[in-house]
Amino acid sequence: MLLSFSCLALLLWGGFTPSPAAAAEARYQRSVERYRAPDVELVNQDGDKVRFRDLVETDQPVVIDFIYGTCTTICPVLSAGYVSLQKKLAKEGRSVRLISITIDPENDTPRVMKDYLERYRAKPGWDFLTGTRADIDTVMTAFNAYIPDKMSHYPLNMIRNPKDGTWVRLFGIMSSKEFMGEYKEVADQ
Amino acid sequence: MSIFDRSFAGFRRGWMKTSLLPAISLLLILPGSPLDAAEGTKISPAPSTRADRAMALERQMSPAEWLAATTPRDPALGDLTDEEILRLGEVMYRDGLLPSGEVMEAFIRGDIEVDSTAFSCSSCHQRGGLGSVEGGVVTPPTNGRKLYQPYRRPPSLNDVADKMGRYVYAKTITERPAYTRESLKASLRYGIDPAGEIFNDVMPRYPLNDRDMAILARYLELLSSEYSPGADPKGFKFATIVTDDVSAADREAMLEPIRMFVAGQNQQVAMYKDFLKFGYTPTGDMKYSFRTASLSVWDLKGEPETWRAQLEAYQQRDQVFAVLGGISNRQWRPIHEFCEARRLPCFYPITDLPVVSDTDWYTVYFNKGYEQEGEVAARFLKRRAEIDSATGILQLVQDSPAGRALAAGFDHSRQDLREPAVETLILDDALLDDPKALAALVAGKHPGVVLLWADATILPHLPLLAESLADPALLFVSSTALGKATTTLPEKIREQVFITYPYRLKPYVGDEEGTGFLSRIPIETTFRSFGDRRIATRTATMLNQSVLQGLRLLYENLYRDHMLDVMSMQMDQTVPDYERLSFGPGQRYASKGCYVIQLGPGPEPELIPRSPWVLH
Repeated sequence: MLLSFSCLALLLWGGFTPSPAAAAEARYQRSVERYRAPDVELVNQDGDKVRFRDLVETDQPVVIDFIYGTCTTICPVLSAGYVSLQKKLAKEGRSVRLISITIDPENDTPRVMKDYLERYRAKPGWDFLTGTRADIDTVMTAFNAYIPDKMSHYPLNMIRNPKDGTWVRLFGIMSSKEFMGEYKEVADQ
Repeated sequence: MSIFDRSFAGFRRGWMKTSLLPAISLLLILPGSPLDAAEGTKISPAPSTRADRAMALERQMSPAEWLAATTPRDPALGDLTDEEILRLGEVMYRDGLLPSGEVMEAFIRGDIEVDSTAFSCSSCHQRGGLGSVEGGVVTPPTNGRKLYQPYRRPPSLNDVADKMGRYVYAKTITERPAYTRESLKASLRYGIDPAGEIFNDVMPRYPLNDRDMAILARYLELLSSEYSPGADPKGFKFATIVTDDVSAADREAMLEPIRMFVAGQNQQVAMYKDFLKFGYTPTGDMKYSFRTASLSVWDLKGEPETWRAQLEAYQQRDQVFAVLGGISNRQWRPIHEFCEARRLPCFYPITDLPVVSDTDWYTVYFNKGYEQEGEVAARFLKRRAEIDSATGILQLVQDSPAGRALAAGFDHSRQDLREPAVETLILDDALLDDPKALAALVAGKHPGVVLLWADATILPHLPLLAESLADPALLFVSSTALGKATTTLPEKIREQVFITYPYRLKPYVGDEEGTGFLSRIPIETTFRSFGDRRIATRTATMLNQSVLQGLRLLYENLYRDHMLDVMSMQMDQTVPDYERLSFGPGQRYASKGCYVIQLGPGPEPELIPRSPWVLH
C-alpha cells in the first residue's frame, strides 16, 4: 500500500515537472495564415485617428505585435526585436513598417505610447495604436490573438505579405537574426 | 537515458494530457502522505534528491544563514557603506544606470543590444526582487535570500506546450543549486546558473566592471532581506488615516468595513487554531492564509502643514505594514509625500484630490479624482467634429482645490493632445455672487465652449450665462464638484450642458452572458447617485483588492515593495463603483475611465452617456 502511494506520488511529481528535453525544441512556431485586418478606427501615439485597415493593407510588408506600455515581461523583448529590426534594416538603407497594438487600451493613452516609443528610441515607421476596448478586441480576434486580460498575453509577431495578403504568424520569442530572416523572406520575395 | 526513463517520460507527458483531473480528484480523497506528495515536500520515493531540494525551496532562509552566505565582505566594494551601495545599486537595478551615470550595457537573445534604461532588472524581477509570473513567463526571484539557497521553479501546467505551441517560451530555469557571490556575478555576466544551465534568452547579460558588478551583487544580497516593518509570519499591523474635516458619518462609513475585515482575519486565525487543536493537518502553504491583523486609526488634526509631523509620530510609535484606505476632503498630498518618503504603501484612500504623478510609487488610488474629469473634457472636445481650432474655449475656474484640479487635468490633457492652451479666468467669490457681471464677462469673450469648474453655487447662474452667448455654446461641468445639485440643472439648458461623471453607468457588474461566477449583479446608477461618495463600497473594494489579491499572494515574502508588485500584476476587475479597475507595474490609478453624460428631462432625469468609459 505504502509502495503504491509512493509510486503514485512519484508519477504525480513527475507529471508536474517539466521535461528539460522539451526546452531544446523550436524556439518559435511559424505558420502562414489568412487574416483580414478589421476596418476599425484606432488612435496612434500622436493622438491622431487612423483607419487600421488602410494602415495595414498597403503594398509594403507590415509587421504587427500586441503589447502594452507598462508590461514587464514579454513586451520589452518584442520591442527590443522591433528596435533591432529597424536598426539593421536602416543600415541596409531600408525602412520597415512596424505596428504595435495595445492590449491595455484603458491605460495606454497616446502619451503613454509616445513615452514608450521614446524609451525604446523608436524611429519613424513604428506606430503604437490604442482605441476603444471593443475595437481592440475586434483586432485581436481578427488575428486569432484574442485574450480576455492583458495579464495572460503571449509573444506573437505577424508579418503581412503585400503580394498575396497572407500573414506569417510567428509565435514565440525569436532572436534578431531569426526575426530578420523571417522579415526578409516576406519582403524580398 | 535508460529504457525506464524513456517510458517514464512518455507516460508522464501522456498523463499530463489525459488524466490530470481524475488524478487530482483521487488525491483529494486519499488521506495522509499522498496529499503531501502533491506539494512535493514530504514524499521520498526511493532515494530522491529532488524531494530534498524541494524541501529547501519550502524553507525560508534564516537571517543567520543569509548573513553567513553574504560574508565576508566583497573586497571589490572598497570602502563603500551598505547605505551607499543601496543607493547606487538601486539606480542600477531600477533605472539601468551605472554609478558613473552612464547607461548599463546589456545584451539579450544573444545578439540584441538593449538599453538598460528601457529594460532594467526591476522591469522583470520587480522592485521587491521576488520576480513575477505573467502570461506563462516566469521570472525567478533575484533577492539574496532566494538566490543563496536552492531554487526550483514552481510547477506550472504551462510547462507543457499545447498543440499551438503556446507556452514553449515559458521555460526559464527549472531548478538550480544555491548561488555563491561568485557564481551570481558569473551568471550576470555570462548568463549561466550555478548548475551550468544557460539562462533563457530574455535575461540580459551585463558586461560590468568589477566594482559595478560588486555593487549590483551586494544590492541583490540586501534586497528584500528583512521583513518590512509591521509584518511578521504571524500577522500584519495596518493603519488607516482620517483627517478632521471628515464628517462623523463619512468616518464611520470608511472605518466600519476595515474593522470588519480585521475582526474577520482574527476570527479566521482562531478557527484555524481550533482545526489544528483537533488534529487537522494543514497543507504546506495554508499557514500563509491565516495571519492576524490589527488596525490603528491615525487621526490627523489641524492644518495640512502639520500632518507630516503627526504622521511621523504615529509611525514612530507603531510601525505598520501598510495604510488601508483613509479619507480626507482636503488635498491628499501631505499624506502621499509621507508614504513616499517612508516607503509605506497606502491603498485606495477616499479622496478627490490625489497626487497625480507618473513616477511616485507608494500610494495606489482609485483614480485621479478631479483631474481625471478635467482630462476627459479635453479628450471629448478633441473628438467632437464640430469643435475646431477656430472655436473659442473659455475655462472658468473657481478659486478652490477642486476648481484648480479640474483645470489642471484639462490643461495637461490638452497639452498631451498637442492642442493650444485655452483662456482661463479665475472665478473669485465676488464674481460667483454676481451673475450679471459673470454673464457679461463671458459674453465679451465669444466662446463656443465654456468649462465651468466650480461647485453648485454656479448652478443658478447658468441660464443667464447661456443666454448671454450668441450661439448655443457647449457648457461643461463636473458632477463631483456639483454633487447632489447636479440634478437641479435647469431643464432649458440641459441639451447644452455636458457633465463629467467618473462612476459606473452599466446597470450590472458581471459578464455579458451573465453565467457562473460572473453572473450579473444589478448596480443601478441614477440621478440619485450624484454626490454619493461611495465610501463604504469603495473601501470594501479596497479590502478585496489589498487583502484577497495582495496579502494572499505574499506567502513568506513579507515586503512592502513585493506587496505593491503582486498587486500590480493582477487581472482587471469589474467592481460596483467603476466599470473596470485595471493594473500594471507602475500604474497607480486603477480606474481609468470617466463618462461625459447629459441629463434627460424632468426632476428625476435619465443619465445619458455621450462618451465611452475610456476615451482617447
